[in-house]
Amino acid sequence: MTISNTLLRAALLVSALIGSGTLFAQTLKIASLAPDGSSWMTEFRAAGDTIAKRTDKRVQLKFYPGGVMGDDQAVLRKIKIGQLHGGALTAGSLTEFHPNLQLYSLPLVFRNLDEVDAARKVFDPRFQKGLDEGGMVSFGFAEGGFAYIMSTQSLTTIDDVRKRKVWIPSGDQFAADLVSSFNISPTPLPLSDVLVSLQSGLIDTVATSPIGALALQWHNQVKYVTDLPLVYVFASFVIDKKAFNKINEADQKIVREELTKMFARLDKQNRQDNLSAMEALKKQGLKLVTPEPAAIQEWYNTAEKANQKLVNGGKLSNEAYQQLLSIVRAKR
Amino acid sequence: MKRRILLPLLLCLALGACNITGGFVSSLESAVLNNRDIATVEQGSPAYLLLVDALASDSDDPELLSAAANLHNAYAGVFVTDMHRQQLMTGKALAFAERGVCEEDDDYCGLRSQPFEMFTAIVREMDDDELDSFYALATAWAGWISAHRSDWNAIAEMGRVEAILQHIIRINPDYKKGDPYLYLGVLATLLPEAMGGRPEQGKQHFEKAIALSNGKNLMAKVTYAKQYARLKFDRELHDQLLTDVLQADVAYPQFTLINTFAQQQAKQLMESADDYF
Repeated sequence: MTISNTLLRAALLVSALIGSGTLFAQTLKIASLAPDGSSWMTEFRAAGDTIAKRTDKRVQLKFYPGGVMGDDQAVLRKIKIGQLHGGALTAGSLTEFHPNLQLYSLPLVFRNLDEVDAARKVFDPRFQKGLDEGGMVSFGFAEGGFAYIMSTQSLTTIDDVRKRKVWIPSGDQFAADLVSSFNISPTPLPLSDVLVSLQSGLIDTVATSPIGALALQWHNQVKYVTDLPLVYVFASFVIDKKAFNKINEADQKIVREELTKMFARLDKQNRQDNLSAMEALKKQGLKLVTPEPAAIQEWYNTAEKANQKLVNGGKLSNEAYQQLLSIVRAKR
Repeated sequence: MKRRILLPLLLCLALGACNITGGFVSSLESAVLNNRDIATVEQGSPAYLLLVDALASDSDDPELLSAAANLHNAYAGVFVTDMHRQQLMTGKALAFAERGVCEEDDDYCGLRSQPFEMFTAIVREMDDDELDSFYALATAWAGWISAHRSDWNAIAEMGRVEAILQHIIRINPDYKKGDPYLYLGVLATLLPEAMGGRPEQGKQHFEKAIALSNGKNLMAKVTYAKQYARLKFDRELHDQLLTDVLQADVAYPQFTLINTFAQQQAKQLMESADDYF
């Protein structure tokens, strides 16, 4: 065999490998709490298939659905040690990478979805940039919806709520801070104990989105929904920047395109789902109660004081908070 | 084929000479459920479903109405993949089942539209001899919800199905060789624990369904693998359950058709396991 023959064979081998698209293939391991077969997982898998196809399998997504990798905190720990590369995570769990994410979830900062849309137009790109600087590549945000107070009793004033047995998730510091800002003494319980605790009367008041109330069947145990958008819940699809940077630039572009498109669709779908779920709650006989103007003002004043106090604590940017307020106030 | 079956029936109905009762439809239900030839049941059943429709349309016999509900629900669950057809068929099954409980006792009429508190109070009135009608209602309702799973109004009714099933096992823990536990297992494992699901409770339900059928309810094992073992990422349990199913004899009174279908599903789950785990 001549040298030129050997070189030719080597060149053919290399070109065959490149052509087969398997050279430098990377599998990104992604965790989600969404159960397999749910609309979220169906969308994730479809996006993963498209990415594999468009990158000739150089980039593949392997999904771990249904919380098999644990809750958001466990997923983040696994990302840090390289066991996972990304996930669809609630914004609350991502504040360590970009604290300002918490701005959307400040209590009663939004009064309606128009205000949310106005704020998101300005802040979503900034949050993505912030997450990127913190080491997480974000492919956008999906709305989880507003959490409302739901109770066995009609609650319109803060004082009404203080008299109830109010649930917050165990170990959720954000929720604990939130209720303490309204001087409410909560009953912390794991999420999976809430239904049975509502049935037994251990708790009688929860805060959740319309989707959450129906998916968990809590709606059968409560009778009233207080018509105040207490907290805006949202999530992001993120991939660890170190893992993402191992992908070549052209393929990164494809991954970005597909995941961003997919998550934007889920964002829209979730909004529609929450609107439909609220209608379903009403159809199931739950009564939407609206506080009197004076009571509403008390809610907003108390929340604003608490929010400003939190911002003054230094974790969140005051400049960003003030800008958010000016955007939402312009819509009022 | 349809003409061969329907013409004599139409003739007999027109002449008022029919003496076909719930017993006949229950026998038909048994013949379907005890058949291991899925293809024959799939191809042969539609004509009989029309026949059952005709018989049940103005019947006041709870046995016939429950059997009609079970047949439509089983056919939709095993053979129909088109969502619109599933919705139509499970809608029909649920309507038959609602009429079935209503014919048992006037108190049960309009049960579905009662507020939840009242609904559970009425369900608690259920007697031992009404279990079949209520079980037909719970399973038809579960099928209907599954066919309408993108509708939040349907999701809202899951708790009602669970309330009926819980009361059935309270009255008779061995009812239908533990089949209600299979449904309870599914309801408990729809969500992971971190999202408020109850997988460990679901596991207990699946194991009870398997134990009460002496391991002969193969769908209980397949569903245990699909709903629990996959949710917990337990490949060893997943593969063990499915291997058991693939090696088992499908014949078991009232379960043969579903067991045959369970084997088909077990094969598909085994084939997709490498991708999943």
